[in-house]
Amino acid sequence: MEYKVEAHRIMSISLGKIYNSRVQRGGIKLHKNLLVSLVLRSARQVYLSEYYSGACLNAQNEREGNEWDITDSEREKFPPSATECDRVESTEEPQQSEQSEKGRDYRENDDEVKSDQADSTSTLQQEQNQNSSLDSVAKVSSETPPETSNEPKESPSDSAVAESDSTPEANGESHQPPKTQRKRSAEESESGDSPQKRTKVASSNAEESEEAEEMDTSNVSNLITIFGSSFSGLLSKDGAKPEAEDSGQICCDQMLKNLNPWSTAIVAF
Amino acid sequence: MGEDGENTKINHSFLRDYVTEADVISTVEFNQTGDLLATGDKGGRVVIFQRETESKGESEELGESGEYNVYSTFQSHEPDFDYLKSLEIEEKINKIRWLPQQNAAHFLLSTNDKTIKLWKVSERDKRPEGYNLKDEEGRIKDISTVTSLRVPVLKPTDLMVEVRPRRIFANGHTYHVNSISVNSDGETYLSADDLRVNMWHLDITDRSFNIVDIKPANMEDLTEVITAAEFHPQHCHLFVYSSSKGTLRLCDMRDSALCDKHSKIFEEPEDPGNRSFFSEIISSVSDVKFSHSGRYLLTRDYLTVKVWDLNMEKGPVETYQVHEYLRSKLCSLYENDCIFDKFECVWNSTDSVIMTGAYNSFFRMFDRETGRGVTLEAWRESSKPRAVLRTRRIYTGGRRRRGDVGVDSLDFTKKILHMAWHPAENIIAIAATNNLYIFQDRVNAENM
Repeated sequence: MEYKVEAHRIMSISLGKIYNSRVQRGGIKLHKNLLVSLVLRSARQVYLSEYYSGACLNAQNEREGNEWDITDSEREKFPPSATECDRVESTEEPQQSEQSEKGRDYRENDDEVKSDQADSTSTLQQEQNQNSSLDSVAKVSSETPPETSNEPKESPSDSAVAESDSTPEANGESHQPPKTQRKRSAEESESGDSPQKRTKVASSNAEESEEAEEMDTSNVSNLITIFGSSFSGLLSKDGAKPEAEDSGQICCDQMLKNLNPWSTAIVAF
Repeated sequence: MGEDGENTKINHSFLRDYVTEADVISTVEFNQTGDLLATGDKGGRVVIFQRETESKGESEELGESGEYNVYSTFQSHEPDFDYLKSLEIEEKINKIRWLPQQNAAHFLLSTNDKTIKLWKVSERDKRPEGYNLKDEEGRIKDISTVTSLRVPVLKPTDLMVEVRPRRIFANGHTYHVNSISVNSDGETYLSADDLRVNMWHLDITDRSFNIVDIKPANMEDLTEVITAAEFHPQHCHLFVYSSSKGTLRLCDMRDSALCDKHSKIFEEPEDPGNRSFFSEIISSVSDVKFSHSGRYLLTRDYLTVKVWDLNMEKGPVETYQVHEYLRSKLCSLYENDCIFDKFECVWNSTDSVIMTGAYNSFFRMFDRETGRGVTLEAWRESSKPRAVLRTRRIYTGGRRRRGDVGVDSLDFTKKILHMAWHPAENIIAIAATNNLYIFQDRVNAENM
């Protein structure tokens, strides 16, 4: 669990760095921002894998027992190194539930929403494939009702194909990444269709502070919307360079990083 | 030993430890003979030091070489503004490279993030006197007072060093220039930014050849950037560039006009046991240098320096740990941005010793023959003139000796990023924030 806390912390630190780079003298440093985005992606992958393990812990609520296998295999396959970051109880992970402002439909894929279900699930799948076995991908994916309609998810090849298909889509969107995500987040907060990962919700269920988190989520989502518009303005001003920091796969990353650690990032600023 | 050569730009404000940002040295470079040493700083200034020539006379005193004194100071780059992108362009000098000397004047290239400039450094120690139409102050004489004609003669004056910009190579780069390298052909040089490498002719400023372009069609697909580039010291058609993924690519310009396809690629597979969030950052190569022989490459990443043989692509032939004790601290180094520090590395004149910087004003030297490394400190309090540098140790466990420094007490603001080694002798120049240290190796201690 501490990996998740650390991953979240690293993600918010990374976001802070990306933000600061825009106001730094001398323009955006491509190299540094690329490295920060790579760290962000790594942290996010850990975060995701932790979510699935978190879902496991709440298996009694909504998951089958095979999730446990997934968790263990995921953990084995992606062992984050222990760093000196403090091991705090994962009180932060319920922040992920901030997306579920209206507390509904926890089963959606966190990566994308609505129109980009294909993107998100395929990308998520791709990451899952990186992190876990094929079986786990299929099984975990099958948990999510909205996505099954889009993706077959039976085999990695399918998901790979789906990913490649959706990548141009994602790339196309990423041309205006901040704005697009901003719109999505705004929509999400309005409709309550939260891009909440199943595992996030599952893990948040486990937290006793979940109630408090949910109360905060509406405030946070408003903050996100407000902050997001100015942030996208900042990003668009810089033209091509901010785009350089994101890969097509990170289209979903931005979703996550915009939505979840924003609360921390926003508070920091 | 090195005190006299210290940079005279030390800030003497009442806060003793306060350092003006503009005074921070950002590059150090000896010329090909080692008589001149140039430093560039964040304020866009270049300071050139010259070694005093000692007349040894009859004395066989070895090691009593001249010391470096300020020769010239000039403002190389000014803060600039890109109106199209609304971006400020820093005046910080990223790199200085000397051209091989061809006549009495010296030439050097200096670059900031966007613009490279060629400077001519020349001496003037004579001036013409005895003009017919103007007097000594330059005022026009009243013609009626001129009664005879004379030929102006050159009279010796105080030495004056003139520095003039001779070429300005602008608008060649969209991204930040990180390296320049003069070709052995004496006519061309390369400049590298994050995504492209350009080749220029020293006489032509309005165009350059793009020889490497790793910019993806879609910027979202970007996965690596160029971090450093250098021409081979003897072969004018070969150059190497390093990437943020830790790979080195050797390119041959005879292959094709655009050298996107490398001739050789040097990379070491990542050790899966050391995988962490920051693996990618610490594998990014911050500096690459050819050996003087041209046979080896020296690279610096965050925790190690590596020596590569041009004939072997699958991995380095030697790896030296610079500060392995920082591996467990990568998370906090990421937070305070220290993990992004770009350390330089240098060869000695015979390619037998390599040197690189670290934190806490420490720098490390590795003897390639024995494989052993020493830690030395560039710190004013402990460096009196002619004092012998003592080696330092970082305490990482085991028996702690007096004088050992604990890892947690390292000062990460005191970082040695830039350094240079004299091309022929054992003289090193170390830049520590706004101070320049020059250390010389005294071979015969009894002569001191």
